Amino acid sequence: MIAFKDKSSGTVAGSLTIDGELIEFRDGETIYQIAERCRREVPTLCYDERLEAFGACRLCVVELEGIHNPVASCTTMADDGMVVKTKTEALEKHRKTLLEMVASENSNLDVDPLSGYASQELGQLLSRYNANNGRFAGNKSGDSNRDDKNPFILRDYDNCISCYRCVRVCAEQEGDHAINVMNRGFNTQITAEFGNDLRDSQCTFCGQCVQTCPTGALADKKALRASDLPGDISKTRSICPYCGVGCAVDILTKDDRVVGIHPAMDGPANEGALCIKGQYAFDFVHHPDRLTKPLIRQADGSFREVEWDDALQAAAAGFSKVREKYGRHAVTGIASGRAPHEAAYTMQKFIRASFGTNYIDNCSRS
Amino acid sequence: MTDQEIIECWQGEDAPLLPILQAFHNRDDHITEAAIKTIAASLRIPLAELFATITFYHHFSRDLPGKNAPRVCTGNVCCLNGGTQLLESLKAEGATAMPCAGRCDDMVPVLRGDKIYVGQDADSLENRPTPLPADNPGNAEECVFRHIREEGRSQLDGYRYSGGYCALESAIMSSRKELIDLVIDSKLAGRGGAGFPTGLKWKAVNEAHGSPKSIICNADEGEPGCFKDRAIMDHDPHALIEGMTLAAYATGARRGFIYLRYEYPETEGILQRAIDEALNAGLLGNDILGKEDFHFNLQIRRGAGAYICGEEGSLLNSLEGKHPFPRNKPPFPVTHGFENLPTVVNNVETLASVANIVRKGAAWYRDLGLGEHAGTKVISLSGDIQKPGNYEIPFGFSLQTLLHDWAGGPRAGRTIQAVTMAGLSGGFLAADDLNVTLDEACIRGRGSFLGAGGIIVFDDSRDMVSAAHDAMEFFAHESCGKCFPCRIGTQRLTERLNGNDKQLSLENWQEEVDDIGSVMKATSACGLGMAAPHITESLQRYFPEAIKSHLKKN
Ligand SMILES: Cc1cc2nc3c(=O)[nH]c(=O)nc-3n(C[C@H](O)[C@H](O)[C@H](O)COP(=O)(O)O)c2cc1C
Ligand code: SF4
Ligand code: SF4
Ligand code: SF4
Ligand code: FES
Repeated sequence: MIAFKDKSSGTVAGSLTIDGELIEFRDGETIYQIAERCRREVPTLCYDERLEAFGACRLCVVELEGIHNPVASCTTMADDGMVVKTKTEALEKHRKTLLEMVASENSNLDVDPLSGYASQELGQLLSRYNANNGRFAGNKSGDSNRDDKNPFILRDYDNCISCYRCVRVCAEQEGDHAINVMNRGFNTQITAEFGNDLRDSQCTFCGQCVQTCPTGALADKKALRASDLPGDISKTRSICPYCGVGCAVDILTKDDRVVGIHPAMDGPANEGALCIKGQYAFDFVHHPDRLTKPLIRQADGSFREVEWDDALQAAAAGFSKVREKYGRHAVTGIASGRAPHEAAYTMQKFIRASFGTNYIDNCSRS
Repeated sequence: MTDQEIIECWQGEDAPLLPILQAFHNRDDHITEAAIKTIAASLRIPLAELFATITFYHHFSRDLPGKNAPRVCTGNVCCLNGGTQLLESLKAEGATAMPCAGRCDDMVPVLRGDKIYVGQDADSLENRPTPLPADNPGNAEECVFRHIREEGRSQLDGYRYSGGYCALESAIMSSRKELIDLVIDSKLAGRGGAGFPTGLKWKAVNEAHGSPKSIICNADEGEPGCFKDRAIMDHDPHALIEGMTLAAYATGARRGFIYLRYEYPETEGILQRAIDEALNAGLLGNDILGKEDFHFNLQIRRGAGAYICGEEGSLLNSLEGKHPFPRNKPPFPVTHGFENLPTVVNNVETLASVANIVRKGAAWYRDLGLGEHAGTKVISLSGDIQKPGNYEIPFGFSLQTLLHDWAGGPRAGRTIQAVTMAGLSGGFLAADDLNVTLDEACIRGRGSFLGAGGIIVFDDSRDMVSAAHDAMEFFAHESCGKCFPCRIGTQRLTERLNGNDKQLSLENWQEEVDDIGSVMKATSACGLGMAAPHITESLQRYFPEAIKSHLKKN
């Protein structure tokens, strides 16, 4: 039996059998969550663990003893004594058929990984099930919207499989409700109100929809600029430089060029979320106008490039002069409301201890 | 009415979105962008969500010509009986097609604004009432149609004349439990398709925690070839109201809704008049029949053209103003229904049976069925048959007797080639397999089901592949698009039947159709996707030659 090691967090609600193995579960766990915990590799396409389970793709179906039809494991709560099979021949055949059906409605299955964080999910499942074989050929369901003029998000619905992860992440995670499902059946389309471009909608360009899209139908336009650059993509874990939330990001680079940003799904502060700046505003890194060295203003108004030591000396000298001439209260500190705790603490220490004034505040109050 | 007046009229009510949309649709002949913005702001629905939800419904126009432009039924019976030509002849007026509008016994229905006209061509179109069921041809004892043919039955006086509301009067003299036990004992089961025991449903709602509870009458009747609920509501509306009020008493529910399909505009007026009569007579509203604390507030909500809104989860989402995808089950409506509170969802026929069952007793009702079967079922019979219409049969009744003795058999010089079951959802039974009795056990034994009891007859002049194509096209048109197997499967099966499949060999065709069918049946998220493959399965079972020549034609 697979039992919980840590009995302290939450009570054990019961146990069920998955593929012959007895497994303990806690209140509120779905069959899918338990199966994942036990590394059953149940395939999914409409699932994003941050979102409420929706039950669209039906790839996660499992057999449940005593029930005629398989059930979607993502939407089925575990119950004491359940006997579950995750990988019978019949299930695997259904999964393959479903994947072949999905493949048949898409025009492009070879998706550039720069498109987005989850963009390879469909492709990987198709190869795992050897399912891209041209069966079920027929009409395509997408209605591409590649000419949406926004600079960030490519909307190529020819690749859309109607999993609605984008719609759900926008509503459930972002609270923006910028996009939704128009029409029904094979004619469903992802749309903003009145078919508007994203610029004329509630979209904040957080990029969440792009990163959860399992097909690259929504893709990162800025990252795709680098698709022709030679070299492999490497990822470097870092923290978004913009604000105090401290969202974890994975910086995508080709050689020494930053080509895109992925939110870190395991970032403790953001759990996969980012805003428009952290997601898309990285062009400054390679911008020719970017300052890479400190500059000191000369008497004639022009700037001279110096080393950090000289720059800090000059700044310290300037501050000291002001204090000597006008007194300690002539200096005030205004900390950025977006600075992290540590920086804010250092700032007030700097103002109080080194100038001897209490004139310290932050910008959200000033 | 101004925008503000419309909004204020409904904003404080339960389930306000549909009536607000209908009111704007009526006033402006379509739903304008400005209206959508106003409604979204007033009801605090995100604009993109409201816009998308409106596009879900077939009958909401977003352009002109709008609501008043004719919509012509090209459903599975009408398209074989002049519907397509009628549509063509009304094209100049901006006519568009609509799926089966539930008038297969009196064709071809054309919806213009809030009126249904029927006729075979543009000149003969006429607004006339829903046909009454003919006298029972076998003199079988009836429950649902017992009094429906009586003069003045649709009005309160006429209804009371033959004992109407006596059931309610007597039920409230005893406990809820007694009423629930009686319904359980009668073996009345859902007549909307799924056949769940009605008394057990009421019991579950009575025992469920949370209030206010609701009774919802499913009057969406979207299944092609079904038109029984329409006859009941138009000619015996008080039977439905009394049934719902009994359900309210049994469960302690205070809110009631009749979710009426868009295609029955006149029915709304009939029901509303009956509700008003009942209200005035103290049979609805507060302290019903003087009984303290027995309140039941009954309202009508009209759908807007979506077969899936007959599926109870989808219906509940639609009422709540949400996108009408079906809900994941469990939890079921008995505990998590309207606004996530305990809710009874019952079909019109189910509810309309209850008053007579209460009056005449559980044993009486059970014994109406033949053999071990309990009760009766209304069958809507249409298509190539002499006397189409609604027939109330005892469960276990012979299909052949219904077709030939009761309904006069096929038209002169023709023979029956096949009939459908459950409207379309049960697929076909071919002529050589019609020796069945009308009960779930027998029909399920044939790989089909009786469901809501629609039976469409196809005679030997019909092309069964094309009938199957039209049926599958209906399911594809009505698939909500939530789950992959149905969204893609109904589309691909339609394509496999449309005659444009040039590349496939018979073997590959069959393999693809089988694989799609089995994945739909096994994994679809609701009954629509699970049932649709009955069409292709039965076509393959009974008409292999027709499929061969269909593929050869290419
Ligand atoms: C696709 C679909 C369409 C349905 N349409 C209807 C309908 O139009 N009317 C109805 O009463 N039940 C319909 N049902 C069945 C309802 O979900 C539900 O079972 C029924 O309303 C319960 O009432 P009953 O127990 O009295 O039959 C439909 C089910 C499905 C899956
Ligand atoms: S970018 Fe963000 S706000 Fe815009 S549609 Fe995507 S998830 Fe919604
Ligand atoms: S755009 Fe992507 S995330 Fe959105 S529904 Fe289509 S495939 Fe799913
Ligand atoms: S089976 Fe069809 S109608 Fe039902 S949820 Fe799936 S897509 Fe929607
Ligand atoms: S993950 Fe369960 S249906 Fe998609």
